[in-house]
Amino acid sequence: MAAADRPTTVARRGGMGARLLWRALLVRRSRVLAAVTAIAVGAAVIAALASLYFDISAKMSRELRAYGANFIVAPASAEGDKTFSEATYRKLIAELPADRLVGASPFLYGVARIGEREAVIAGLDFAGAQKISPYWQVEGNWIGVDFDERRCMLGERLAESLGLHPGDKIEVSNDDGSFTTELTVRGIVETGEAEDDQILVNRSLAQKLLGMPNVVNLAMLSIQAEGEDADRLASTVEADFPGLDIRPIRQVSQSDGELLDKIKVLMAFVAGIILVITAVCVNSTLTAMIVERRREIGLQKALGADDSAIMRQFLIETVTLSLIGVAVGLVIGFGLAQLLGQAVFSTAISFRAIVVPATLAISLIAALAAAIVPIRRAIRIVPAQVLKGE
Amino acid sequence: MLQASSDELEEFETDSESQTRPVIETRGLTKRFGTVTALDHIDLTIRAGEFVSVMGPSGSGKTTFLNLISCLDTPTEGSYLLDGIDVSTFTEKERAVMRRERIGLVFQQFHLIPYLNAQENVMLAQHYHSVVDAEGATRALERVGLADRAHHLPSQLSGGEQQRVCIARALINEPSLILADEPTGNLDAKNEHLVMELFSELHREGRVIVLITHNPELGRRTDRTIWFEHGRRVRRASEAA
Repeated sequence: MAAADRPTTVARRGGMGARLLWRALLVRRSRVLAAVTAIAVGAAVIAALASLYFDISAKMSRELRAYGANFIVAPASAEGDKTFSEATYRKLIAELPADRLVGASPFLYGVARIGEREAVIAGLDFAGAQKISPYWQVEGNWIGVDFDERRCMLGERLAESLGLHPGDKIEVSNDDGSFTTELTVRGIVETGEAEDDQILVNRSLAQKLLGMPNVVNLAMLSIQAEGEDADRLASTVEADFPGLDIRPIRQVSQSDGELLDKIKVLMAFVAGIILVITAVCVNSTLTAMIVERRREIGLQKALGADDSAIMRQFLIETVTLSLIGVAVGLVIGFGLAQLLGQAVFSTAISFRAIVVPATLAISLIAALAAAIVPIRRAIRIVPAQVLKGE
Repeated sequence: MLQASSDELEEFETDSESQTRPVIETRGLTKRFGTVTALDHIDLTIRAGEFVSVMGPSGSGKTTFLNLISCLDTPTEGSYLLDGIDVSTFTEKERAVMRRERIGLVFQQFHLIPYLNAQENVMLAQHYHSVVDAEGATRALERVGLADRAHHLPSQLSGGEQQRVCIARALINEPSLILADEPTGNLDAKNEHLVMELFSELHREGRVIVLITHNPELGRRTDRTIWFEHGRRVRRASEAA
């Protein structure tokens, strides 16, 4: 019969190789499952950490910015008027990149009286202050709106000395007693800093009480920018506001970067450990599979398979298992990244295409490294020894 | 039993063998494992069309001899010419080529891949040889009387049937030499007869068959018997008959 008459009966060698591979894996389902699971777990962790890693600078920078202001704005001149106008503050805020601005609040300071006791009063925008100071521990509640002139927050040490609690009412007046108002204590705030001894009220109320309308002493900003980037931003903005001194709070930015680096190293370390565990699992599973198949390998050699054919066969098996494991791992990993993103950063982690080749490459390298010893073992099988008649 | 020198054996072979082309020629073929000499200076010629049995007690060197002439192992000393090619110094890769191109192996334990059916087990030999041809594999199975069992797994076949699949696999690439190591060792009398009939048929078609066996009955069904003892070839009185 001419070859053209039977095209379906003649298969390429790859066809028989694929059949051999598929059946060999199918018949060892439990071992295949163990190897695929090991690779999938490794790939899932790699994919999750890679997703976080590639997303981390933006996400973590935003998150770390939540731990305090990193820019301070004050009048440029050390002498004379130590205030600047509210209009300037608003103009400054409008000029900052909105996508990088985490929060901001102006501050106006003065001295007020609670009964017979003198205390520093700070006027601020509570909504902005909450964003730049989420580490403040509050008993009771924050003041949620910037126009609330009937409530205040008290520093923890001041409240303790006056025996005040959330819900209590206090009478606050200015130095000469010309302005008096009754305020309800909305919350007691503990910051570990100067605020612990202050009365915190809305900026507008502080301006009335201190007789300083439409001005503030300084502003605190939280912006996603570090190092030279922060310097550049400060210089650029400062050029437009010659009366203001805008400075990054250096030590905060640097510690942010160091923390970021440490977290990245920790992630790499965890990924490394997971990879080693994955490689050990793959190695032991492949070794067991090869020990089980000693006679098959011996037979294949006796039928004419050379070392490269045996090596190719097991490399293809390893790559096949890896591809299945990585596919499963990527799905689980992206889910894991979302969980971590929500738990740690309270935000979704964006899918980044680079995670796929990165996970695939790292998983393949680990699996192939793990396969070296078992494959060498397969190549060294001597058919004359394993095919001996009993 | 007579101990025989190489010269005597050569003379004996010249007398008893037809002067056809040599397929196997060994000269001083020796295999040592450490200090143990498993095969000691074997001189032997097997010619085209011969059906030869190799007999001897356990440990006499039969299997070592088979491993060497099937290119599964290399000699410590001496030469081995297969179809006129000196393969004794071949690398593993070159020996693998000789195995797939020129040798068909039949094992006592059959050694079929358990998760491939009969046809696929035969095709496996094609896979390493050239092109996989399902129809060719089916024809080889027809040849051994198993066309209707082509899609059965080894576990669904009797021992005799498994051995016949093994023979079909050995035949599929049209080798110049078929080497069988105790091929009926695990078979009952009926299947032993069937398998030996197959070998006789292949012999009548002109194939060279070397059969390693303990069974003198099987030895008598071959053209001649080569005896081994303590790794050396010996001549028995019956050989001259």
